[in-house]
Amino acid sequence: MKLPDNPWAFVPHQHQGPHRETDPDAHVRSPTRHNAAFKSAGIMTFMGAPYCPPERDRIREARAKVCFLGAPWDLGTIVRTGTSSGPQGIREASTAYFPYMFEYDVDLMTFFRVVDCGDVPNVPGNNELSQQYICDYVSECLEGGAMVILVGGDHSVPIPGARALSQHLGRHRPEAKMGYLHIDCHLDAAVDWGGNEITNASGPPKALELPNCNAENMAHMGSRNGLNPKDWMDFWIDNRIPVLTMAEVVERGVDVCTREIFERAADGTEAIYCSWDTDSMDHSCMPGTSCPESFGIKAREALQIARIAGEYKVDVLELAELSPVFDTSQISTKLACNLIYHFLGSRARTLRSRNEAL
Amino acid sequence: MNPAKAFAHLFSPLAGEDSGNYRNPGQISFLRAPFVPVDEVEAGRGDAEYAFIGVPFDEGNVGKPGCEDGPRDFRVASLDYFPYWFEFNVDLHGCAVDCGDVSMPRVNPALARQRIYEAVRSALDAGLNPIVCGGDRSISIPAAEALSDHLGNERRMGYLHLGAHLDFADRWAGESHVSTCAMARITELTNLDSANVAHLGARNSFNPKDHVDLAKARSVRFHPMLEVLERGVDEVMDEAVASVWEGTDGQYLSFNFNVMDSSCAPGVTATEPGGLEAREIMRVAAKIADAGGPRVIDVSELCPMFDVSGSTSRMAVCVVLRILAGVARRNGKTLDDSIRRPGWRHGPA
Repeated sequence: MKLPDNPWAFVPHQHQGPHRETDPDAHVRSPTRHNAAFKSAGIMTFMGAPYCPPERDRIREARAKVCFLGAPWDLGTIVRTGTSSGPQGIREASTAYFPYMFEYDVDLMTFFRVVDCGDVPNVPGNNELSQQYICDYVSECLEGGAMVILVGGDHSVPIPGARALSQHLGRHRPEAKMGYLHIDCHLDAAVDWGGNEITNASGPPKALELPNCNAENMAHMGSRNGLNPKDWMDFWIDNRIPVLTMAEVVERGVDVCTREIFERAADGTEAIYCSWDTDSMDHSCMPGTSCPESFGIKAREALQIARIAGEYKVDVLELAELSPVFDTSQISTKLACNLIYHFLGSRARTLRSRNEAL
Repeated sequence: MNPAKAFAHLFSPLAGEDSGNYRNPGQISFLRAPFVPVDEVEAGRGDAEYAFIGVPFDEGNVGKPGCEDGPRDFRVASLDYFPYWFEFNVDLHGCAVDCGDVSMPRVNPALARQRIYEAVRSALDAGLNPIVCGGDRSISIPAAEALSDHLGNERRMGYLHLGAHLDFADRWAGESHVSTCAMARITELTNLDSANVAHLGARNSFNPKDHVDLAKARSVRFHPMLEVLERGVDEVMDEAVASVWEGTDGQYLSFNFNVMDSSCAPGVTATEPGGLEAREIMRVAAKIADAGGPRVIDVSELCPMFDVSGSTSRMAVCVVLRILAGVARRNGKTLDDSIRRPGWRHGPA
């Protein structure tokens, strides 16, 4: 099936039956004929965006600049499972939102020509192969010319995610560097966990092994509490990578700290991988995660982080460890969805203000 | 013995090791501590400083039921934490023994209170600092009596409670030892001067007039939530800590986590809006640790069946462990900077 030339003309109301809306801008206004895609999404996609197969040619053909990609892999975890429902949780939460964001006066759908590339298939019990699939799918989206919203899954997802960005950059700009940010309650710096080097506790050490990712362009923010064995802290100290603990974020303010880590990731680099664990947020606004921890980032601060992130050229924004089964009243999935929306809204505003092409 | 091996619990498990020091330790105990029955604790304590005592008692409860599952969930939540706390650079491994749960008779609250008293008293007399996990708020009455008697009339006691309710009923429906009577009974202890009592976090209207009247009649300084909001938690805690710690020989710290805003603690017996946020309770924990820590900690009214995602129990464990970690750091028990995981290949050795 070939995508129509302008698939956004009928998005998000995918109901192609007898009662369809016909106005091409209907998706940014209150519906006139029925509830449109709001809470009745047809086939449920992120933002009600059209499905596009995760193939570089199809993505280029659609001229999509944002690919939503689910990575429902939760067998790389050392804690409780359940994050495989993360992508569906965000898709469902997104049915309660319009693609139009008044704060930025932008229609995200048509601005970015958002597509949902579905979920990466995985191989139960095989961490290596499942991660290779994630890497391959992210690569296709990047080669298709889009930035990737990658939703886990557990926090082993950045291992293949950052590898895909590293390889993509290496192919096109062999001398260029990339930045890697890790926003998380946990330091996640197990060089190995019981001999296993690719669990959800090893994202940053694996990023540091990437040939075009240096310690100078890495940072960690939001760490706190006692699920951080000593070797995890030793990793950051011994590699001289700054850790902005939660206590520091509280003391200095989230704005200053967020800008500091993004400036570091952007300094002399041409790409940024931002790995954001939902447990960086306080358990009061994010119970739906594998390790809900108190003393975290509050909802309004998290949205501020998302907005600041949108001022930088983030190529892959990854949200991990969202676990809808532990959520209550959708507060976690809706917050996670909003982080993406505000990131994109801010990104659109930034690009518009600089008159930059996508 | 390989010196690095002795610190294995600080680190991610090595290849070939199981991760038995983490979420699946074989048996569920507070922070993977060994079980030592409370009547053998004097001989079996080893180097431990704290004795965890579960009190699954729900019969002094005037609110909704469920807090008898508190100790069980508290232990499970503690397994999600390592003994190492990087913010303090301390190792809590071996700091505690778990004395199990006090055996609860059914429908005999007086006997239950007697057993709670004896368990807490035994741990205190053995030189340990009890961490008493309820159970409803009434468990504080026998536990505080145990500290009072342990100190004796020559030594002074301090008492700090954090909670949304004053619990100052002299009688509740004719009863004298139910949860709402806790502060009324405890402030009658002879070696506890009202100047050494502080209460923080009272708010909303489950505080009948007679509770306020009795608190005032006994000159108890309570810091309502509105005062905390106005003055800030640091200033109020400085004042509360000064009342409770200065001039006293043993301090009793009592948590009802309904002191937290209901968004931060859905899993308690009586949720209350308008309470502390997580970063405020962490300041509370830091102030208490800086004062030297308490002799007894109790945690009451955790109610796992109403919890969301296990987050309330986890927060409660986190607060207690941050106090323990803060006290350890204050006492100079920080780790040598040179300790590294075996086979470490990053940075300077």
